[in-house]
Amino acid sequence: MTAPAKEDELRGGPRGDPRGGRLRVAIIAASVLVLVACPAWGGSDARATLILLAYHAAIAVMWNLLAGYAGLVTFGQQVFVGLGGYTLAVGCERFGLGVWPAFALAAVVAGVLAVPIGALTFRLKGGYFAVGSWIVAEVFRLLFGTWGFVGNASGMFVRPARSVDPWVIYYVAIGLLIGLVALMVGMLRARPGLALMAIRDAEDAAASLGVHVWRTKLLAFVVAAAGTALAAALITVQTPFIQPNAAFSIQWSAAASFMVVVGGLGTIEGPILGAAIYVVLQQQLGGNGAVHLIVLGVISVAMMLIEPRGIAGLVRDRLGWTLFPVVRKPR
Amino acid sequence: MQLVETLLNGFLLGGLYGVIGLGLSINFGTMRVVHLAHGDLIVLGAYFLVTVLVPAGLPPLVAAALVVPALFVVGWILQRFVISRSLGRGVLPPLIVTFGISTVLQNVLLLGATADARTLHGPLASAAVHVGGLTIAAVRLVDFAVGLLCLGGLLLLLGRTALGRALRATSDDPDTARLMGLDPRRIYALAAAIAAATGGVAGVLLAATQTFYPATGSEMLLVAFEVVVVGGLGSLTGTFLGGILLAMAQLVGARLFGPGYALLAGHLVVLGVLVFRPQGLLPRTAP
Repeated sequence: MTAPAKEDELRGGPRGDPRGGRLRVAIIAASVLVLVACPAWGGSDARATLILLAYHAAIAVMWNLLAGYAGLVTFGQQVFVGLGGYTLAVGCERFGLGVWPAFALAAVVAGVLAVPIGALTFRLKGGYFAVGSWIVAEVFRLLFGTWGFVGNASGMFVRPARSVDPWVIYYVAIGLLIGLVALMVGMLRARPGLALMAIRDAEDAAASLGVHVWRTKLLAFVVAAAGTALAAALITVQTPFIQPNAAFSIQWSAAASFMVVVGGLGTIEGPILGAAIYVVLQQQLGGNGAVHLIVLGVISVAMMLIEPRGIAGLVRDRLGWTLFPVVRKPR
Repeated sequence: MQLVETLLNGFLLGGLYGVIGLGLSINFGTMRVVHLAHGDLIVLGAYFLVTVLVPAGLPPLVAAALVVPALFVVGWILQRFVISRSLGRGVLPPLIVTFGISTVLQNVLLLGATADARTLHGPLASAAVHVGGLTIAAVRLVDFAVGLLCLGGLLLLLGRTALGRALRATSDDPDTARLMGLDPRRIYALAAAIAAATGGVAGVLLAATQTFYPATGSEMLLVAFEVVVVGGLGSLTGTFLGGILLAMAQLVGARLFGPGYALLAGHLVVLGVLVFRPQGLLPRTAP
């Protein structure tokens, strides 16, 4: 009796109970509907806040793909923020590409450059990988700061992006976040996700079972680079200005790690929750001032020591319910 | 001749870089933790010297000597009450916790001491020594001498004393060390305190050698990291040699391409080492 059930489970992948499933669909559909209908209920303030939330969440979701699923804790994701932003800026302003072709190109450039960057930094393990990635980002920050073509350290304006309708930016931002979440869920429920989680939990054991450790990690790294670059390109459409010290700043990785740790490492909804908390704190405490950063630092240390699973992880473990089921439970 | 002068100055500055790396090396060697706030502890020491002790009227040498025990205490407290609670649960928790400490330290310094450039003023700052046709900044001779003393002291401490034996035993196998009556948490706190004390030495040298800001902490962390990677993980002597190589690379880069290229030249040499000799100059053979 039990054997067929087990096999079915293995083939079927992760599934919650049907009631939880209906609740999930309802919550996700309602959220998407509220976001899409924003012009009907919100003005430019709501739009600005949600754009801010969407691109922070997108960066956090991608950081979580690395730290929460691939076991790659990094403080170097700002390299892809900078590369994405600069691809958009240079593509529009210097090569006369349209805003949206340049936006798409950002993912390609970051994804391609992620291969040599990953090949180099994967030689370092654990904490040394985290800081080694930061060094790579510093190299790009310094190079762009001395590159006359992109305006050296004083940066460059992206004039073609000024005429983009803010509602278009809004829908692209929301679409990007939904797309990245869908990609994550799809990837994690399929073979690469299983391989990633196996590597995260026991690298040697995964390798001995035939998982291509290096290749799978690189896949996650490339996907995260492309997703982060798209978010960054969108920020540059909105601003529309870019400067190396801001684009390649360590603050992007600091923010990403805060959002993921507070929201819930290794959960899909956690980073989005963390991004909401981050944006609210930023608006309450005013920009990236010293007080704001101290509060972020204290919260992430306290969270890590008191509740390392984050808010979403806590909910999952207490209630046994999660918005996006991607974890397989052997029964 | 100018290049020889640059190389010599870089070699001597390497003493400071070596000390900067030693603390990170000790932390990683005993606890397998990359202490992301180590650079900020160094800068904290420098600020304590320049904005508290020296204005209080203490003679510079006495003030400098007080920074080291002060940092020892700070390092012990941070380890015992904060960092220790993040250990044993994988790579992420200690990284997040030490990065959070780094953010807090850097911004508290920013609020308390502003973003103004600081340095230790005194006759040492501008003194120079002339050897043959070469000009050497006197402070760099101090950097090198103190750096070498630090390395020698630590090698003796780790290799020849009961405390050193306890540290090495806990590093190799904490469970067996506990069976032998050692308390790993106590040993870790001592190791972190010693690492922070070397950070105090580095902070004093930093204040005497160059200007610094609250954000210099991140720069110091990257220097420490690069020095350790170039030197080879787990070897204090390698760390010291890594410091010399990095400092020489930075000064040569600055001389050849302009002052803005010092950091970039250093980073590129480190990435080159990573490509061609990922185990570093003097790797320890143990896992």
